[in-house]
Amino acid sequence: MHNCKETKERFSELVLDGIDSLSDPSVSAELSRCAECRDEFEALSATLRTANRLGEMATPAEDYWPGYHSRLRQKLVNAQSVTTTSRAQAQRRREKLGPLFEPLRPGAGTSLFVKLLRTSVPVPVPLPLGIAIVVAAALLIPFAIRAARRDVTPSNNTTIVRVPVEVPVIQENVVTRVIYRERRSVAKASKRTTEAARAESTFAKSQKSQTEAIPVGLSGFKPSEEIKLTVIKGGVPNEK
Amino acid sequence: MTERDTDAASDIDLIKRAQAEDIDAFCLLAERYARRIHLLASHYCRNAQDAEDLSQEVWLKAYQAVRTFRFDSSFYTWLRRITINSFLNHRRSSFFKRRGQTMAVQLLQIDSELPQVLFESSSQENIYNKLLFESVVNALAELTPAQRLAFLLRHYEGMSYEEIANAMNCSSGTVKKGVWRAIGKLRARLSPESEAQESLTSLASEY
Repeated sequence: MHNCKETKERFSELVLDGIDSLSDPSVSAELSRCAECRDEFEALSATLRTANRLGEMATPAEDYWPGYHSRLRQKLVNAQSVTTTSRAQAQRRREKLGPLFEPLRPGAGTSLFVKLLRTSVPVPVPLPLGIAIVVAAALLIPFAIRAARRDVTPSNNTTIVRVPVEVPVIQENVVTRVIYRERRSVAKASKRTTEAARAESTFAKSQKSQTEAIPVGLSGFKPSEEIKLTVIKGGVPNEK
Repeated sequence: MTERDTDAASDIDLIKRAQAEDIDAFCLLAERYARRIHLLASHYCRNAQDAEDLSQEVWLKAYQAVRTFRFDSSFYTWLRRITINSFLNHRRSSFFKRRGQTMAVQLLQIDSELPQVLFESSSQENIYNKLLFESVVNALAELTPAQRLAFLLRHYEGMSYEEIANAMNCSSGTVKKGVWRAIGKLRARLSPESEAQESLTSLASEY
């Protein structure tokens, strides 16, 4: 059964591979069944043929290539001269510093390290004494490390430098609170203090009621003297 | 020994001489394969000068790396890998950043940017081909560099999707998608119903 989607996918790959519908009988047989697929195939073939033809045409003419190759040769010569110069410089540097770094060369360095590892000096010491020396060294190592750490602490030779530093000071705010008392209640209180000896129980009762009677706000406040107030109205001067 | 064997043998001989820093031998190799590399570069860059610079950059890199050639594959396969890497590393030319220009403005630039071979004669067919080529390159310019390169390798080099995917370090599905996107763009540009094609036909008739 003909499947347009499958056919298109298969033929698209064939077109990319350069297979012509006329050259392959199976392709032409499949295409003859469906007009839509045939159109699709032809359009795709035409597109890629055009791209191919244009690709061939885009190749520069023969007289372009001698100049191209001479420019390329020049670039290659320049690149080679740069490479040769850098190689010569590296060689000169190696020759100059070679003796100094000879033991550090990869091969030489390995052999030197191996030689150092293998080097040993035989010292005639009795076995118990040798063990005792090793144990003593093992015990002394922690003390030596601690002593080394202590030495790191700062010495007494340090000089003290006094530098004035401004420190912000919090200023205290003085808050004045004015409490107004009613005159009548104050007078009553003073009178009662004189009579306190006479009736103590009565005093206690009155004291209690007195404290309750003291107002918190300014209600009932009366100034002791009369004050004349001169009100100056705005606008005209000396007007009372 | 057939002619092909002689060519292959001389290729090996030239490579060995090039490995011994023989520039002449390397230039002979370049003469053999320069056209193929240049064709890819001209489709990839569109600008003739950019194409030359890019193709010569490929040859310079090949010369610097020719010592590493181990004769495991053909010289062209090895060279093509260098070409692909060079193309992908090459910065996008300023042309590809200019989009949305009108056809008329682009046509003014054709004379300075298309290959010289298209200007050898002033026949109507050649002018039409010039415009068609411009249209193809514009269609390719709408793709990403990777998609464009995938199409060029599939269509002009005949590489399989797997080979392209290996060379470009991506999946074969990505390559396939890129190739079909390119073909879609080309079909849209080159189909007889497209506006670009109509304008090409009318402009070509005016010349």
